[in-house]
Amino acid sequence: MLATLTTETEADLITRSQHGDRNAFGELVRHYYPRVINVVYRMCGDATLAEDAAQEAFLRAWLHIASFRPGEPLRNWLYRIAVNVALDVLRRRDEEPAEDEMLQMIPEQSLGPESALIEKERLALLQQAIRSLPEAARGALVLREYGELSYQEIADVLDIPIGTVMSRLNYARDRLREMLKGQMLQAESKYV
Amino acid sequence: MCEDMHALLNAYLDGELHGRRLMEVKDHLASCTACHNELQELRAVSDLLHAAPAPAFLPTERFVAQLTLQLPRRALGGRPSKSAAWAWWLVPAGLLATWFFLRTVFALTTAITVADATGLLGQSNAWFTGSQPLEVWFVAITSLFGSQMSAAQQSTFSLFNQVSVFGGDLFSGFLWQAVVVLLYWGWLVLWWFRRAPRPMKVIAAAL
Repeated sequence: MLATLTTETEADLITRSQHGDRNAFGELVRHYYPRVINVVYRMCGDATLAEDAAQEAFLRAWLHIASFRPGEPLRNWLYRIAVNVALDVLRRRDEEPAEDEMLQMIPEQSLGPESALIEKERLALLQQAIRSLPEAARGALVLREYGELSYQEIADVLDIPIGTVMSRLNYARDRLREMLKGQMLQAESKYV
Repeated sequence: MCEDMHALLNAYLDGELHGRRLMEVKDHLASCTACHNELQELRAVSDLLHAAPAPAFLPTERFVAQLTLQLPRRALGGRPSKSAAWAWWLVPAGLLATWFFLRTVFALTTAITVADATGLLGQSNAWFTGSQPLEVWFVAITSLFGSQMSAAQQSTFSLFNQVSVFGGDLFSGFLWQAVVVLLYWGWLVLWWFRRAPRPMKVIAAAL
């Protein structure tokens, strides 16, 4: 569970960061890293890439923290940077994600070898399905499902009308529904 | 009806519907099996996304430590200092003061000129009035043709000269004010751009 950061504390940390206080910025990173890495990972579908992208995102945030306007939600500002960086990182990468590397980083949990393999394959398929979505639809979906933003916040972050957010989410979920029908049947028996 | 509902099911699932629209969807779902099933499928997609485990990322403390080491010494373009903020506000204050000063000087000059012309000042105007200001064209005409002019012609040209001098003063007075006003508007535009929150798109473009 993420530690809470009061509005006053966050505002203070932001002001100090704007004056070059690296420790204050470190506190902000400590608080937002789990959320940012999760969003970036769902955009990239690769843990190593996601870590690189998260690092680049926070570096950019540090370099431009002076332009951050007090009163805006910092989380949304960071998400915006993170989504852009994730897309940049993906564009820079020439080859497809190394599946083996991605699967190695998935925790074994308490599953048996066969179940673990099935779980890894399922996750790989899921990530592949998300990756196959167009960037615009993927961004809206990831911000909603993993960033837990409202439609209005997504509209602000992506600078699009709220109607476009809705249509992108409709499209993304319809596509995923088609691609993951088999998995959903399995999931029903497992999670429901 | 179901086609309209399709577009709203995601918003319903995400808790983004309120009021009458929410009731409409709820009522429809209670009576339409197809839409109900579609909602279940959308919910299953969402559940699947949430159930997918995330890999073991770099622990937060290690990430923070690594990142902190890479941070440049200072963030670029820090907030302006208090003295810089004061200097920023001195610009409009100075422009306003200049405008008031010029306006006052212009009004006083006009008042004195009118008073002098109407004889209200009597002989007390000797300390500031010198010779009558003359336009170049007036000097040229009177030099060339002054001896041939009648008294009526001379007074007509003299009147034109006064009107021309007055018009020139008026123009220069307005010109100064126009310059000051334009500078003030320029500052206002800059102030607005500094103050208005930059759209996320613009910020993102810089990132």
